[in-house]
Amino acid sequence: MMFLTNFSCKPISILFALLICLSGCSATNNQAISVVDDHPATEKKLLVAVLPLTNLSGTSVPLGDIRQRLITSFKKQGLDILADNVLEGFILKQRIRYVGGIDEITARDFKYETGADAVLITSVELYSDVPPPKIALTCRLVSTGNRPEILWIDGVGLAGDDSIGILQLSLIEDPQKVLEKAVRQLSTSLGEYLASKSYSMDSQREILKFWPKVFYRSPILEPDWTYNVAVVPFFNLSERRFAGEIIALNFVKQLTTQKNFSVIEPGIIRNLLLRMRIIMDDGISLADASALFSKSDADLIVAGKIFDYQDYQGTGGKPKVDFSALAIERYSREVVWTVQSHNEGDHGVFFFDWGKLNTAHTMASEMVASALETLAE
Amino acid sequence: MTRLGNIRNLDKFILALLLGFLAACGTFDTLTYFHDPQMDFAAVRTIAVMPFENLTREQMAAERVRDVFANSLLSTGAVYVIPSGEVSRGIARAGIVNPAGPSTEEIGKFAGVTKVDAVITGTVTEYGEVRAGSASANVISMSVQMIEVQAGRTVWTASATKGGISIWDRLFGAGGQPMNDVTIEAVNDVLDKLFM
Repeated sequence: MMFLTNFSCKPISILFALLICLSGCSATNNQAISVVDDHPATEKKLLVAVLPLTNLSGTSVPLGDIRQRLITSFKKQGLDILADNVLEGFILKQRIRYVGGIDEITARDFKYETGADAVLITSVELYSDVPPPKIALTCRLVSTGNRPEILWIDGVGLAGDDSIGILQLSLIEDPQKVLEKAVRQLSTSLGEYLASKSYSMDSQREILKFWPKVFYRSPILEPDWTYNVAVVPFFNLSERRFAGEIIALNFVKQLTTQKNFSVIEPGIIRNLLLRMRIIMDDGISLADASALFSKSDADLIVAGKIFDYQDYQGTGGKPKVDFSALAIERYSREVVWTVQSHNEGDHGVFFFDWGKLNTAHTMASEMVASALETLAE
Repeated sequence: MTRLGNIRNLDKFILALLLGFLAACGTFDTLTYFHDPQMDFAAVRTIAVMPFENLTREQMAAERVRDVFANSLLSTGAVYVIPSGEVSRGIARAGIVNPAGPSTEEIGKFAGVTKVDAVITGTVTEYGEVRAGSASANVISMSVQMIEVQAGRTVWTASATKGGISIWDRLFGAGGQPMNDVTIEAVNDVLDKLFM
C-alpha cells in the first residue's frame, strides 16, 4: 500500500519539479538576442558625430559613461567617430543647446564645417540602478547635409530580471552589465542595418496581445502610397516627465521601420513648431496642422495624448502605458486615423511571470507597433 | 401527494435560489437615455466633443473618458469628430466660459468657428475604485448629451453606470475589471443608444 502511494506520487513530484524548473527558466522579456561584434566595415566608413545624450528619464544618469560606451561599441561596427574637441568646438560656435534632434541648418553646417556624414542622437528614457537594474535607450542616426534624414533608429529597454534563468542564475544585479548589454544590442542593430540597409523584423512580436482597444482608419488612406510623416510631441497628461517626447520617439522608431512611411527628423519639426510659435494646449488644432503642412512636405501629422507612462523600481510592480494618437492628412485636413491603447506589463501573464514586460519602453514599443498595424493595413 | 407537492416546491425553491444567485453575480449596471424622435440624426455629419465636467476625485477622469468617447464615436465611422486641439481653438475663439456647459449662444459661435453640426457635452460623476469590506472593483458613472447646433436643443442624452463589485469580487476578491476596460464598456453602451 505504501509502495503504491509512493508510486502514484512519483509522477506528481516529477511534474512539480518540472514546473519549478520551468518557473526558473521564465524569460519575462524573452527575445532571443544574438550579439555580434566586429561587423565587416561598409565600403566607405561613415564619419559620425555622437551628440551629448538627452536625459528623458527624469532621474540622474551617468550620461558621459553611456556615451563613451556607445562610441567604443560603434567604432567596432566600422564607424569613424568625430573627435570630441571638434564636436565641442562646433557646438560652442553654433550655440547648440538642444541635442534631442537636429534641424536643417544645423545639419548643413555639421556637414560643411566638421565633415561629419551623420549625427547619432541618443535619448536615455529610463535608468534605475536599484536591483534589478533597468535601462531604456533610443538611438538614431541622422544624415547631415541639406536634407537630413533618419538613416537608422532603434531602442532598447532592459531589466536585470528580464531572463532570470534556473534558480535565478541569470539575474543581473550589476547596472553596468545591463548597460553594456543595452549598448551591445544597439550597436549590433546598427551594424546589421549598415550591412543590409534594412530593418530585421521581429518575428516574436505579439501583435494581438497589444492590439489597440479602439481605432479608426479612414478609407481615404491609400495602402500603396508612401507617406511623409511628421510626429509632433504628444500632449503629456501623465505624471512622468517627458512622457510626451518618449512616446513620440517610439512612434518615430516604429514608423521608420514601416515601408509605407518616411519619417521627418523630429528636430526639423521641433524647429518649425518653435519658429511658427505653435503651442498645443490640448493636442494639435487644424490651424496648427495647416501651418505645419505649409512649411514642411509632410503628408500626415501624427499627434496624441499620453495618459500613463509608468516604470517601476525594484522587483514589485509592473509598467503601465496608456495613450491615444491621431493622424491628420494633408489634403483633406481631416483626422484619418485614431487609436486608443492601454496595457500593463503583466497583461496575459498567469504563471511565474512568464511573458511579463519589465520596462515601459518595451511595452510601449509593442503597443505602438500594434497600433501602427491598423494604420498601415 | 404531499410528497410530490414537496418535491415541486423544492424545485421552485432551487430555481428561485439560482435566479437570486445569478442576479447577485451581476454588477449594478444602469443605462438611461433620451432619443429625440423628431431629430434626423443622419443629418449630423461633424461633431465636437467638448471637455467633460469632472465631479470625481480623479484629476484626469474627465479627460480620459472624453478621449475614449471621442475615439469610440469616430471609430463607428458614422460621424466625423473634430480633434480635441481644434475644439480647444474653437472654445478660445468663441470665448466660452464653461466649456462643459456652454450656452446656446456660445454653441452658435463655436459652431461658426469649427463648422460642426452638433456638440456633445458630458459629465463624469464617478470614476475609480469602490470598496465594500475587503472587496474592491472599478466603477464609472457618466452622462452625455448631444446639442444640435441649428436649433440649439438637446436631441440625445444618455447616462450609464458600469462596473462595481460583483458577487465574484466578494467571494474571490478578483478586484474587478481594469478602469480603462470599464470605461470603454460604458462608452460603448452609451453609443449604442445613439445609433439605435
